Amino acid sequence: MKCLNRKKIILCSIFLVNSLSANENLFDEDLEDILSIKTELKANIGSRDGARDCLTSNAPIDVITEQQIQDSGLTSLTDVLRYFVAGFNAPETSIADGSDHIRAFTLMGMNPDQILVLVNGKRLHTSSLLHVNGTIGRGSSHADLDNIPLASIDRVEILKDGAAAQYGSDAIAGVINIILKGVGYSNKLSVVSGIRKASDGEQLQTDLFVSIPLEYDGFVNITLDMKKQKQTQRAGVDNRVVIPRVTTHVGIPDSKDYKALVYVEIPQDNDINIYSEISYDYKESEASAFFRPDNADSKLLYNDGFLPLIKAKIVDYSAVIGIKGALPHSISWDLSNVYGANNLKYSLDNSMNYTLGINSPTSFDNGSLNFIQNTTTLDFSKDDKKFKLAGGLEFRYEKYEIKAGDYESYMGTGSQGFAGYHPDNEVDENRHSHAFYIDSSYYFNSKFMFETALRYEEYSDFGESTNGKIALSYKLNPKIMFRSSGSTGFRAPSLAQSFYSQTSSFISSSSILSSQGTFRVNHEISKALGAKKLCPERSKHFTIGTVLRPNQKTSLTIDYFYIDVNDKIILTPELLAQTQEQKTMFDKYNVSAARFFTNAANVITKGINIKLNYLHDLAKDSSLDFGIWYNYNKNSIKKTDDNKMSTIDKSSKDMLENAQPKSSLKLLTKYEYRKLETTLNITRYGSYSQSSYKFDSAITTDLNIAYNFYKNFKISIGGLNLFNTLPNKWDDLDGDLYGTDSIKQYSRYSPFGYSGAYYYMKTSIKF
Amino acid sequence: MKIILFMIIIFTSLSSYESEDRLKAVIVGKVAKYITFQDKSKEEFIITLYKNDSKDLFDKTYKNIKIKNKSVKINYIEDINDLKYTDILYISNVNSSKLSEILKKTDDKNILTISDTRGFAQKGGVIQLYFVSQKLKLKINTQSATQQNLKIKSTLLRVADIVKGKKL
Repeated sequence: MKCLNRKKIILCSIFLVNSLSANENLFDEDLEDILSIKTELKANIGSRDGARDCLTSNAPIDVITEQQIQDSGLTSLTDVLRYFVAGFNAPETSIADGSDHIRAFTLMGMNPDQILVLVNGKRLHTSSLLHVNGTIGRGSSHADLDNIPLASIDRVEILKDGAAAQYGSDAIAGVINIILKGVGYSNKLSVVSGIRKASDGEQLQTDLFVSIPLEYDGFVNITLDMKKQKQTQRAGVDNRVVIPRVTTHVGIPDSKDYKALVYVEIPQDNDINIYSEISYDYKESEASAFFRPDNADSKLLYNDGFLPLIKAKIVDYSAVIGIKGALPHSISWDLSNVYGANNLKYSLDNSMNYTLGINSPTSFDNGSLNFIQNTTTLDFSKDDKKFKLAGGLEFRYEKYEIKAGDYESYMGTGSQGFAGYHPDNEVDENRHSHAFYIDSSYYFNSKFMFETALRYEEYSDFGESTNGKIALSYKLNPKIMFRSSGSTGFRAPSLAQSFYSQTSSFISSSSILSSQGTFRVNHEISKALGAKKLCPERSKHFTIGTVLRPNQKTSLTIDYFYIDVNDKIILTPELLAQTQEQKTMFDKYNVSAARFFTNAANVITKGINIKLNYLHDLAKDSSLDFGIWYNYNKNSIKKTDDNKMSTIDKSSKDMLENAQPKSSLKLLTKYEYRKLETTLNITRYGSYSQSSYKFDSAITTDLNIAYNFYKNFKISIGGLNLFNTLPNKWDDLDGDLYGTDSIKQYSRYSPFGYSGAYYYMKTSIKF
Repeated sequence: MKIILFMIIIFTSLSSYESEDRLKAVIVGKVAKYITFQDKSKEEFIITLYKNDSKDLFDKTYKNIKIKNKSVKINYIEDINDLKYTDILYISNVNSSKLSEILKKTDDKNILTISDTRGFAQKGGVIQLYFVSQKLKLKINTQSATQQNLKIKSTLLRVADIVKGKKL
């Protein structure tokens, strides 16, 4: 017994001494070893007083580094965040019109329009698409993360805290800040090629990053990115056709994507720095609607039914120009203008308009959506050692347009698969807003830090909003820190939510052409059903957590969060006329059913984020980087107003509360041995539901093995979802379209898709 | 038991993430090992911090450390006119006009100037510190080093980017 105790004491002593003494004598290390040491991750988000170590921030921040991105074989930013960030969800959808082409995502269970996206701290414009089908993120427009070429990214910072008091509208669930590569990065050419286990979904992506140095550490960084994605096919048999067969496409769509990004900084001799960032993305994507089986109308053009193919051409560009400098007394300033635009043009092939019969074209121009955002900002900051003060002014202009499709696409019953936008749907609306904000940080001493933020904002369409934030941190000792924040926030209703409409017509049983669909909030039909002008979603936030650092190698963060969103904007279910007044209005417009956006629900989201990181060198030439990241979140609709609740059907309620995994656990490891690098990530997704059907939790494994043949030449092979984990199919559901043995066998909410394992090879050359 | 002991020693032996400030503090003195200074008469090796808040960190880092077989002394100044004899001048938080004044003041004084100010090397400083992908990098202006009568060993030049800057 004594012997055992002595051994325990020796073990503890060795562990303690080793962990405490790690790197105490850093000065004695070789120069090259010192230069190879990694520094603490820094983030520019959550505070305007410059980059600070993530582990000293007042709120939880995840950072995904360039190295992690490069070691993953992933080719889009949405996927990068899905694979690395616990609580980030981005299912792959299919047969969901525009949502097949621009993927929605959520953070901690909250909608994409409640997540603000910045590039180098500047607001990124949203896409023109409004998700109106039954996908995750239904009812929202959001920034398309996939517009940014991965090779241009230095790191991605994810603030998991409300920050509308600092950055304005949308920063409710959190903020994603994409930091572009700056000075000092090597030129690089990469090629990734991969295929699914089912021998489809081939992908080829090539990117090139070139950095041209300028005087005084200025640079011109150019990134080109080309990607070709072939579809995956996971459709089941269509039992509606005479001889059951696979008729529909279910899976990742065919797409081609071309991106370019130029980031320039031209520092002058006099502390002035002129900067610009121009990005362009052109994407073509093709997905299908459900197969139209043989019928009397389709026979006129197609012998055996037809599969409408919905095509999207998306052009997205943004241009940032700015100038910043320094004044005496540690004052710095930054004046910038950001212009961003997104255009989504729909067309349809292999379809027909039943009303036109044999004279129907088979291809259609279905109209387009367009969104423009221009933001002008002037920022000041003063750094006075203990006290840091920042403030600024912002002016923003937004414009939203819908353009009608060609006549054949909307007349009569409209083109099958996706009816064109009708001239009645056309809209050209704009608004502007201005804001004043001030942030301050005060370091009472080396232990206690206090931060406040206040922002006033006025929108031309709905009025003003003032929000505040208080955050503080206290270091009990170098190994333990406590942090907490409380804030209010808001999200302005998007122009798309206020003005989007798409109606399609059909011939009713009484042979009358009747229309249904999404109506503008200010349309007489919507008003008759009770629609009111949209007001902003308003939120309250609270976080409390701790950061533990038992030694320099290990960190553990635990943070609880609580977010209360009032007046959440939701797309109603299709409503029928109930009262005489409503019936009269429906008759006036020949409408059979209508839906519209409304401030319908109060939603509470609460949960916890836990992160354990551990780095360690096993021997002189090898190291192990290890992390366990966990997120738990729970959305619940707080029933405060019966009248409002009547606009939320069971399906909407289920989608809000149960369609996403409540928990996500990620085990991230990277092992390096001389020229060999191995990355192994294991993710456990919690269970989720769709239409009262429950889908099981699942575990996926991703592996990347890379070998540096020469100093600048690396080859990687790897697999995502290596063991081909698939979600379980619908249980005991026998529908024609959805069901165990029907066309769509899997839930569209599957957090890891249903296309199965993906294997790839990546080659990269630095020059 | 032996295996466990071995595993613990292996698994707790080396590296960690470091703060940028600590790495900067270490490298400032470390690079001096690869540089030949003219004046070897002083008993102490002096590092002067100009407007840098990290004096405590430097004191801690260089406690019991010898550079060129001399004990290290850390000085702190807020006004360049207060600069006395020093081997290294580490400059922080300065604008271009002030930097120009400082570099003129130190010109031809056999002082190794180091800074993390953007464009420092090209503006006439000797060694610039900067970070890329969480790693510390060095830029050396050999022209400025020559002007300061500093001889830099190839070991240091090999791990740094060499830049040419304007003559003072």
